[in-house]
Amino acid sequence: MAERKIRVLLAKLGLDSHTVGVTVIAGALRDAGMEVIYTGLRQTPDMVVQAAIQEDADVIGISSLSGAQMQHIPKVLARLREESIDDKLVVVGGVIPDEDAEALQIEGVDKVFTMGARTGDIAVYIREWWEQQGR
Amino acid sequence: MLEEGEDGALTGLRTLLPDAGRAHLLGITGPPGAGKSTLVDRVVSELRRRNKTVGVIAIDPSSPFSGGAILGDRVRMQTHATDTGVFIRSMATRGQLGGLARTSFEATTVLDAMGYDVVLIETVGVGQDEVDVVELAHTTTVVSIPGMGDDIQAIKAGILEVGDCFVVNKADLPGAERVAMQLAAMLHLRESSGENWETPILKVEAEKARGIDQLVDIYEAHRAHLASSGGLVRKAVRRNERVFHELLRERTAAQALHAVEGGGEPVLAALRAGEIDPYTAVDRVLGEEHD
Amino acid sequence: MKRAKPEPTPDNPENAAATRDAEEKRWRRDMLDPALAEQGERQEEFRTQQMHWPVKDLYTPKDLEEIGFDYMEDLGFPGEYPYTRGTNPAGYRQDLWKMLQVTGFGTANDSAERWSKMLEQGLNGFIIEYDLPTTNGYDSDHPLAEGEVARAGTAIDTLADMEQALDLPWDKLQHLNSVCNAPQPVNLAMILAALEKRGVEPASFTLQMSNAILIEYTCVGRYIYPPRHGLRIATDCIEYVIRNHPNWIPISVVSAQLYAARATPVQELAFGFSIAMEYLDATLARGFDVDEVAPYWSFITGLEMDFFEAIAKLRAYRKIWARLMKERYGAKKAESLRLRLMSSPGTTGLTLQQPLNNIARLGIQTLACALGGGAYAITTPLHDEAHALPSEEAVRVGIAVQNIVAHETGVADTVDPLAGSYLVESMTRRMEDEVFAEIAKVDALGGALAAIESGYFQKELARSQRARYSEIEDGTRKQVGVNHLVQPGEKRSIEMFKLGEEAERLQVKQLARVRADRDEDLVTKTLERVREAASGDENLVPPILEAVKAYATQGEICDVMRDVFGVYHPDSLTAGV
Repeated sequence: MAERKIRVLLAKLGLDSHTVGVTVIAGALRDAGMEVIYTGLRQTPDMVVQAAIQEDADVIGISSLSGAQMQHIPKVLARLREESIDDKLVVVGGVIPDEDAEALQIEGVDKVFTMGARTGDIAVYIREWWEQQGR
Repeated sequence: MLEEGEDGALTGLRTLLPDAGRAHLLGITGPPGAGKSTLVDRVVSELRRRNKTVGVIAIDPSSPFSGGAILGDRVRMQTHATDTGVFIRSMATRGQLGGLARTSFEATTVLDAMGYDVVLIETVGVGQDEVDVVELAHTTTVVSIPGMGDDIQAIKAGILEVGDCFVVNKADLPGAERVAMQLAAMLHLRESSGENWETPILKVEAEKARGIDQLVDIYEAHRAHLASSGGLVRKAVRRNERVFHELLRERTAAQALHAVEGGGEPVLAALRAGEIDPYTAVDRVLGEEHD
Repeated sequence: MKRAKPEPTPDNPENAAATRDAEEKRWRRDMLDPALAEQGERQEEFRTQQMHWPVKDLYTPKDLEEIGFDYMEDLGFPGEYPYTRGTNPAGYRQDLWKMLQVTGFGTANDSAERWSKMLEQGLNGFIIEYDLPTTNGYDSDHPLAEGEVARAGTAIDTLADMEQALDLPWDKLQHLNSVCNAPQPVNLAMILAALEKRGVEPASFTLQMSNAILIEYTCVGRYIYPPRHGLRIATDCIEYVIRNHPNWIPISVVSAQLYAARATPVQELAFGFSIAMEYLDATLARGFDVDEVAPYWSFITGLEMDFFEAIAKLRAYRKIWARLMKERYGAKKAESLRLRLMSSPGTTGLTLQQPLNNIARLGIQTLACALGGGAYAITTPLHDEAHALPSEEAVRVGIAVQNIVAHETGVADTVDPLAGSYLVESMTRRMEDEVFAEIAKVDALGGALAAIESGYFQKELARSQRARYSEIEDGTRKQVGVNHLVQPGEKRSIEMFKLGEEAERLQVKQLARVRADRDEDLVTKTLERVREAASGDENLVPPILEAVKAYATQGEICDVMRDVFGVYHPDSLTAGV
């Protein structure tokens, strides 16, 4: 029987167009056997949540390198709660100051990976969460 | 849920089946670089203009090494990202055991039952699986571009058999007419499918949305043709039989492995270690091994 | 009878070479091998950091012979074709490179203040970066602009902002670099109009525009219109500047962005030159002669830590451009063949961890810049850029590093000191050969525009990005502080500009005020003219200049063009992911 694949939605919000991060992470997660759905640039919180629903994403990964993380990410979390799909794993990666990372994690982001994080760690983190869900 | 083949999903699917059957299933295939994603995007726009709701199933290849995939077709369809009349689902081929035809059939059934007027299935069409997928559609479009030259042979013979409509995209580039003529020559040679449908060859420029309204007209015409000729029923029969066989294969294989020690792992291990050949391995699983 | 071993004589070079080779064999057998038998080399193999070219244990004249190295053909003299030794005959003995710094943040007022201070501190000029809404053609009150206004650079919505930003000590300013790619014609128009209002003569300084839209499609992502139209817009700007402000530089092929996207040196040069030629072809189609326009083409590159790869890259850069201009375009004037290059130690080699180490890296890379030569300007990133706000101290350190290299090391006191080095010449030649081979590949695809539309550049860069990360993660490529000599428990928090909502609020207020005060009919009329020009093939700059003077906003002008040209949505392939 076909095994369950972890589906990860990778998004870039707002005008942030740095794509080296998502390119590298997408490749690493694919190599770790996951199915990665990339949204493209200039996503609004609404678009991200719509995509998460349509794609049955297990994980939502947001890459933030322009500094506007506190602007967009809380809105994504709020929309996820509104749609009652806040059981998905939400991870954020990029250039995030510590106090913002803490604030985001309090608001509902499961983990913030800042610069210097290894792609292997991110894949392991997702898989461990997956196994804990009993899948 | 559907893709994983859980029992709950199958039960769920069965309850949906009565509601399914209304949607027009469009298959779109062609080699990489043919501009399929742009074409799909423009077709969706035109369908929306005609007030149709649209589901899109975009299929991309899984990595043969890791089993994972990067699915990027949504990126091209940004204009439809906030349109509630459009539902986009990305799927991966998942290799031989993935049951691509079955899973994409199931996904289309769900979208059909949800009430979408049209469901578009887009694949790359270089593997047999993808050829099979588009066979499940009512209307299959094969996309090519000028400059393919001998690559026209790359359009698998299988697809040529099932294509209901051929599109030459990027028709503003030199060589478009030549490709159209090559296609016409090949269509001439193929056996009549008995469907009594004159297969059109259309030149379009998807980027500039030129020719798209004619393409959608062709889809509507083909749908009407199938309805009146009994083609819809014939295709549904073929589709059901295809899914039946694939599902049977999957489930019996799973059952057979489940029934033996360790879910078949010891046999697989012996096979990998070169101790037994594949034929012996199957005999062993089925309990038909003769010493 | 056995022949006697040939005696080396001054008039028998072949004998000398044979003797030398025989001596090398002997050296290896009698000196090197025994030494290695006692203790092996540090690594299995040695390769350059980016190209992964094997690095030999020893380079000798034989290596030059093997590539058929010829002084006059490969190097020539400084200031002469093929310019490998430099584009200025007197090198840095005559004039040191210009020392520049990247800046720009906040509102126009904040920027003007900081720039004025820097000019007082001794910089000759600076590079203006704009915020994301501005570089993407959105006004500060556009929904997508929220949270981004005045963050990554200066916010410019209307001429009023540009007038404030350019409130500077113009007598001290020699060089201004304005980095605004997708809406370049609007940016250019605003600068022109602001200068006119201030009574500053455009000819009194050099404005360099990046106008680097093809690079944006390739790897930076700040684009608006489909690539064909982006190229048309860029060509309009080039044509306008060449005809009206001939001492300005209307195009920068920012191969440094390719470098930042982890392009290898060969990719950077090949893709960069292909892009340069695409602009060139588009401009020549406007009725220019190659010698009229090629002198304007300028380049910006960044360097990596591999010292010799960097130097080889810089020397090859000059030679390749000269050869392309001469062999492909038949250019005759020295100004066409002579590369204009700005180089910079690069941020990709700097680390977040142990930031003081980056000062050493900057020193080494600046040294490579100076030894590679040919750059008329060098910029230094800040050593703590990865995690800190631009501090005055960091700026001072950057300037100091440049001055230490310039005045304390002696490398600027002679021209192209490493010429003739067996290693450097071998590497320069290899760089040249591989770049030409890659350019041929791009040619076969139909050129840079075709490569962008088909996603070739983007896919190649994605590969380099992934390769680079896995090398660092698995340790094949050592980076001190990251995977070598890591400081356990080191925690680096990232400081970010908390401009706060204040700057955005002020900017939006200013925008509303300008809208309220302007002549709405004039705006409508001038925007209609822009639409007309965009729909045909009239040069966009003059009608945009009129719209700008009427205080039409940048967003409004870009929206007119969005209507006519459409908006660009790449597919996943061209998105490179």
